[in-house]
Amino acid sequence: MDTIHQSSKPIITFARWGNYTIAFKTLFEQLGVEIIPPEQTNPTTIAEGVKVSPEMYCFPLKVTLGNVIPSLRKGANTVFMVQNIGGSCRQRYYGAVQEKVLKEAGHDINFLDFRATPKDIFSTIKKISGASTWQIIKAARFFFKKLRLIEKIEKMVQFYRPREIEKGTTDRILTEGLFEIEKSDNEKDFSRVKKEILKRFSEIKIAKNRRLPKVALIGEIYTVCDSTINFDMESKLGKEGIEVHREMDITYHLKKLLFPWKDWIIQKKINPYLRSTVGGHGRDAIYETLNYVKKDFDGIIHLLPFGCMPEVTVRPILQKIHQEKGIPFLSLSLDEQVAEAGINTRLEAFVDVVRNYHQSKNH
Amino acid sequence: MTIGIPQALIYWKRPYFWETFFEDLSFKILLSPETNKEIIEMGVKVSDPETCFAEKVFFGHLLWLDQKCDYIFVPRLKTNKEKLEYCPKFFALPDLAKILVKTSILTETFDERKEKFEKTLRKLGKKLNKAPKAVEEAVKAAFLKEEEFKEKEKEDFLKEMKTEGRKIVLVSHPYNLYDEYVNLGLRDKLRKLGVQPIFLEEVPLQTQNSKFENQDLKYPRFHWEFGKEWMEKISAILNYEITGAIEVSSFQCGCDAVLKEFVEKRFKENKIPFLYLLIDEQSGEAGIQTRLEAFIDTIQ
Repeated sequence: MDTIHQSSKPIITFARWGNYTIAFKTLFEQLGVEIIPPEQTNPTTIAEGVKVSPEMYCFPLKVTLGNVIPSLRKGANTVFMVQNIGGSCRQRYYGAVQEKVLKEAGHDINFLDFRATPKDIFSTIKKISGASTWQIIKAARFFFKKLRLIEKIEKMVQFYRPREIEKGTTDRILTEGLFEIEKSDNEKDFSRVKKEILKRFSEIKIAKNRRLPKVALIGEIYTVCDSTINFDMESKLGKEGIEVHREMDITYHLKKLLFPWKDWIIQKKINPYLRSTVGGHGRDAIYETLNYVKKDFDGIIHLLPFGCMPEVTVRPILQKIHQEKGIPFLSLSLDEQVAEAGINTRLEAFVDVVRNYHQSKNH
Repeated sequence: MTIGIPQALIYWKRPYFWETFFEDLSFKILLSPETNKEIIEMGVKVSDPETCFAEKVFFGHLLWLDQKCDYIFVPRLKTNKEKLEYCPKFFALPDLAKILVKTSILTETFDERKEKFEKTLRKLGKKLNKAPKAVEEAVKAAFLKEEEFKEKEKEDFLKEMKTEGRKIVLVSHPYNLYDEYVNLGLRDKLRKLGVQPIFLEEVPLQTQNSKFENQDLKYPRFHWEFGKEWMEKISAILNYEITGAIEVSSFQCGCDAVLKEFVEKRFKENKIPFLYLLIDEQSGEAGIQTRLEAFIDTIQ
């Protein structure tokens, strides 16, 4: 069966990951590869992913499967999956398991499972697209430009949202901005797009000189970054007048891949609490917590997929730091059974705690 | 000086090894008792609700030992001889143990990607102020004891395979198989139902130190030591005549979520009936009994 695909043209689909999906889409388009982008995450796609996934597997595997299946129905025949993002954790086997369950569900597909090293990524891309090295470099450059801008406006939104005078402006500009970024298919024209989006942000009317409570999002990278999975946590907090921070994004992860000493520094800082890696971004969660305590934050929200091995392992340590330092701490495990209403209730209660903590500190 | 050893989780990775080692160095050993209801309850109470059942049991044993000895030994097992990793939850055990108990934790990192097992043991001996020579003797004694145990297991296995009647392979981690309370006496239950249980752990591998079978693998190259071991041992046991297979998982065991997919596939390809059992602090005897009876009935 595989031979049919090798002769026919590959039509690629890939795992969705928050707003960064836009950048990945561009990467493939610039390489001249035909793609069918993954479906936006919604209850239907999640249910579809859950249906074919192993029950005990972690949530992101189920979600990403659900995103891919509709594209397969639309005609995609090749799935692109990166392995080994998390080191020792289960993410390593996403490709193997997804390939297995998709084939068992009757999808006749090619599965491109590659390691997250620059060399492996490059050779996989080269194989599938047949593009020249120069073309790949150009596509990668455009990819990074888009990625950086997406990450930049995500950070700006975190600043503007709690301060905006006319409610909803920031979210509107974010949606429009992301749409513009997605539409742009010409690298030369991109700087104009960028300038325009940034200008629109600078025109948002904000309440000046307000000292707002600050809350940090830490935890597992996928759940922290993808607003469709975490019930738009950043937006909810922003609308409550809370400034949200998060360190996790793709650039953060890539930097750690390229510069291993970042991990050494993290290990040195967290030595009193944990003297080893635990896979995934387990160590980072502790490091970030300590950092945010030092930076005088007013609360920490820990997001993880239900049963996530690294995050569950470090959670008792995070709770210990919370007890020692008194910073409000909320840990939310997400999976297909979590309902938004439940999250809202817990979040509301937590926001009250954060406000009280913020006030008591400033009096 | 007394060293406490929790008889759970990592203990079963090397049973008898650690107590022999420390006893030979003339320490007194306090082994936590076999798992019981009280221990499980203590463990469940202090653990993160989402961690695996096996780890909760371990914390129960740890609390039982608390303040009954001078040190509690919790090694940090990272990689084995073949440079394959242990479960990532083992990596943080000493740190989590420190949060839970008042007694000091005695620990050492066993990472054979960085240094040989014997060398780490020497370091551990030095930490306890023992002469290198004494440590070496103790290491030898411990290895000998371990070898003895393995030989006995092998004999048992061959004897069991020779018996008449249907044989059922039990696939699980040693800490689920050897702990009778945790697996609700699975071995006895099966025997009473008239079948011979075989522990996957006891299946001897033909070639020691074998590399992954080089042919087209039907499963991923696992970076977990137990992943590789299981798949190889399953290949080995398939050469014998077996009637069925049962996999036992601790609830919320992340690694098993991955392995189950490939273990199940392997048995089903060979037309061997397969049953998957989850155990946790709420598993009842009756529920397991019913499922086992139904399973044995189907393979008649």
